[in-house]
Amino acid sequence: MEMLLQAIINGILMGSVYGLTALGLTLIFGVMKVINFAHGSCLMVGMFASYWFVTLTGIDPYLALIVVVPFCFAFGYLIQDTLISPVFKREKGVREPFGVLLLTSGLWLVLDNLALLLFGANFRSIKTPYSSLSYQIGDIIINGPRLYAFIGTIAGAYLFHLFLKKTVMGQAIRATGQDRDVAGLMGVNVYRIYSVAFGIGIAITGFVGGLLTPFYYVHPTVGYVFDIKAFVIVVLGGLGSIPGALLGGIIIGLIESVVAQFLTATWTAAITYAIFLAVLFLKPEGILGLKGEW
Amino acid sequence: MNRFSLTSPRVYVPLGLVVILFVIPLVMRSPIFLHLMILIFFYAYLTLSWNIVGGFAGQVSLGHTAFTGIGAYTSTLLFIQLGLTPWIGMFAGAFLAALMAVIIGYPCFKLRGAYFALSTIGFLEAFRIVVENTNEVFGIPIKGAQGMEVPLRGDSLLYFQFLDKEPYYYIILIMMFIALYVTYRISKSKFGYYLLAIKNDLEAAESLGVNIAHSKLKAAAISGFLTGIGGTFYAQLILFIDPANIIGAYLAFEIVFIAVIGGRGTLLGPILGSFLLVPVSELTRVYLGGTYFGVHLIVFGAMLIVVMLFLPRGINDSVLKIYHWVIEKLERKGSHALEGVASR
Amino acid sequence: MALLEIKNLTKSFGGLRAVIEFDLTIDKGEIVGLIGPNGAGKSTVFNLITGVYPPDSGHILFNGESIINRKPYETCLKGIGRAFQVVKPFPDMTVLENTMVGAFSKVEKAGDAQIKAMEILDFVKLAPKRNLLAKNLTIADKKRLELARAMATDPSLLLLDEVMAGLNPKETEDTIALIREIRERGMTLFIIEHVMRVIMTLSDRVAIIHHGSKIAEGAPKEVAQDERVIKAYLGEAYVFARN
Repeated sequence: MEMLLQAIINGILMGSVYGLTALGLTLIFGVMKVINFAHGSCLMVGMFASYWFVTLTGIDPYLALIVVVPFCFAFGYLIQDTLISPVFKREKGVREPFGVLLLTSGLWLVLDNLALLLFGANFRSIKTPYSSLSYQIGDIIINGPRLYAFIGTIAGAYLFHLFLKKTVMGQAIRATGQDRDVAGLMGVNVYRIYSVAFGIGIAITGFVGGLLTPFYYVHPTVGYVFDIKAFVIVVLGGLGSIPGALLGGIIIGLIESVVAQFLTATWTAAITYAIFLAVLFLKPEGILGLKGEW
Repeated sequence: MNRFSLTSPRVYVPLGLVVILFVIPLVMRSPIFLHLMILIFFYAYLTLSWNIVGGFAGQVSLGHTAFTGIGAYTSTLLFIQLGLTPWIGMFAGAFLAALMAVIIGYPCFKLRGAYFALSTIGFLEAFRIVVENTNEVFGIPIKGAQGMEVPLRGDSLLYFQFLDKEPYYYIILIMMFIALYVTYRISKSKFGYYLLAIKNDLEAAESLGVNIAHSKLKAAAISGFLTGIGGTFYAQLILFIDPANIIGAYLAFEIVFIAVIGGRGTLLGPILGSFLLVPVSELTRVYLGGTYFGVHLIVFGAMLIVVMLFLPRGINDSVLKIYHWVIEKLERKGSHALEGVASR
Repeated sequence: MALLEIKNLTKSFGGLRAVIEFDLTIDKGEIVGLIGPNGAGKSTVFNLITGVYPPDSGHILFNGESIINRKPYETCLKGIGRAFQVVKPFPDMTVLENTMVGAFSKVEKAGDAQIKAMEILDFVKLAPKRNLLAKNLTIADKKRLELARAMATDPSLLLLDEVMAGLNPKETEDTIALIREIRERGMTLFIIEHVMRVIMTLSDRVAIIHHGSKIAEGAPKEVAQDERVIKAYLGEAYVFARN
């Protein structure tokens, strides 16, 4: 029984991380209707940024976020502005714009394999004084960094929510997401909003990456695993729905963790895909059926 | 000058190119070079097969290596267990692949755009993971992630195995031309028009009598069948199959990239794309690869990004323009020569 | 036997009752018009006929056969052609190729389809533009292509959804003449139109639909005098003022 409870706790902790990753993805889709295949790769970039910054300066990884997050924002903004924007503009009237999807998948290949080339295939990790710290409640052991990551994601999600609802930029983003033509007429520079939104999406990913480095391995292909999960979550929770992303994340985290008690890890992955496909076919708006709540 | 006579550049240039392709192995004997050519034709073949669904019908499948996987595993298992020559096993694999294409297609085709693409990835990944984790099926070993070796028979036409590169070269070259011919015939047929209509506007197509589901599934079946045969060829070439490669996501994306860079939906695009991408990526792999598995993919990705930004329809149109310019120059030269003769 | 018989047709979308107990009969060779304010349910009736979605209740008989649960491609093969309100050409195909797709519904070979398509294109006077890509056409030509494509399927009943929208007076005149010629070829026409003058000149009979219900039907002149019609289009005040 304790094993199960332990698994549930771990599932929720990890699930929130997945959820926040998916949140970045769903934000980008909600605002731009773009599926960013390079999302996982951007997470990897965030993780490496955190890793190198910490390794070179010795700063605590959580403090390093102050640098990593804006870096990722700039990275995302740049990508959207220089690469995605031209293709996006060109496909304005097209019913099923594949160009951006293909472009981001090209970006995925480039980023992942460039990282492989530059950093090699070694698995790296960051050692901090509290890496092996854990808290104990009864028989349940909660790993320190995982708990901090969980707290971080909840805090991050809440901050983001405030941003969307209270700030001018946040409202502009929501407006653009709902109706870009009208938003444009209201004086919103639509393309700049896209770049900002994309940048934020990647910044969120960088934030997640920074939270992960204290306990997760850093490797050029780490993004792929998170990428697939993010897509499953986003479809599960409804493309464009932020609460859906978080809830979906926790569900997937739970499934992973609990099912892994009974089956091998790779069969767990197969089940995740099965759920993914089931949702796609039976309820494409997402099991939670939550519409983008802008 | 007669348009269809042998002296017309419209005839002798393409004919000459085809002849050159067939003559190459007699002139260039380096196995490394021949292997490169084999890869070019192989990727072109896979992409031509993909093009039927992804280019003509506009349904971008990102999981097509499910079919190479089925083809390869079927023919190899039949070979190992029953001693059946891969020449026949190939067709068994192709039929199974076509069947799977229809089964997967049935639910997936109901989805639009990006959802469809995602669902194909979902199926591919799920399929690969299942194979990777299965050691036996009904007592027949398939060795999971380890992969299987194709039993060696040395130099044997009967068993689709050769010690030299030349036979493989000719086989895949012919396969490529067959795939090209099939796509050509489709493009000129009612079926081809229907696929194009579906790609352009689904609703309008339906109102004009096009049975959407039927056309899409037919395209999937043909594409799956051809792709499955490609899987068997790969198995006989490399003599080793494993899920990571033959049911790989990277290969699935490479096919799509070649199609897009070459010109999605065009006849020659897949071949042009392959001739451009494969040599460059092989060079990258040879000189920079070393122990890094996916270095050539940087090239694939970068080229795709460049094409998406500047040449979204692929290189097909530009290449054809250059080609026609050359032809016209040759035609004019030819007619000047004739005039010269006539005026004497 | 009437060519098309619609009886008691009803369709709701969620809480919105789009079509309510709609009745209409169309005989072979007629031109019947369907008019009504925006949102009255006209296009929904067309969608129900071609099979885009099934009705909640009611019957639709085409040549005596029920076509209620048929999909759009099936109703097309049975002989109902349709030109859409918002034109849907195949943008990356030529005018000829567009029309050939329609022709293929009745033939198998590309050569035959081409001959048939050319014949239709000659008829609608689009033949000179046959090798242009559809996306590069003017609106008027796109509408004409829409018509040609639908005609290429050899329908016995042609549904035209606001084919005059967006045309200038000259183009409108030309299209009216064309529609008359189409009827002379033996096709029966069911037309949705907003431009009053057009529908009144062309139609043998007119049906008015308002908030999903048919409020009047008859020869154009009669219907124009009908009080309910005037009220629907111009409002109560006008009726009051007239009286």
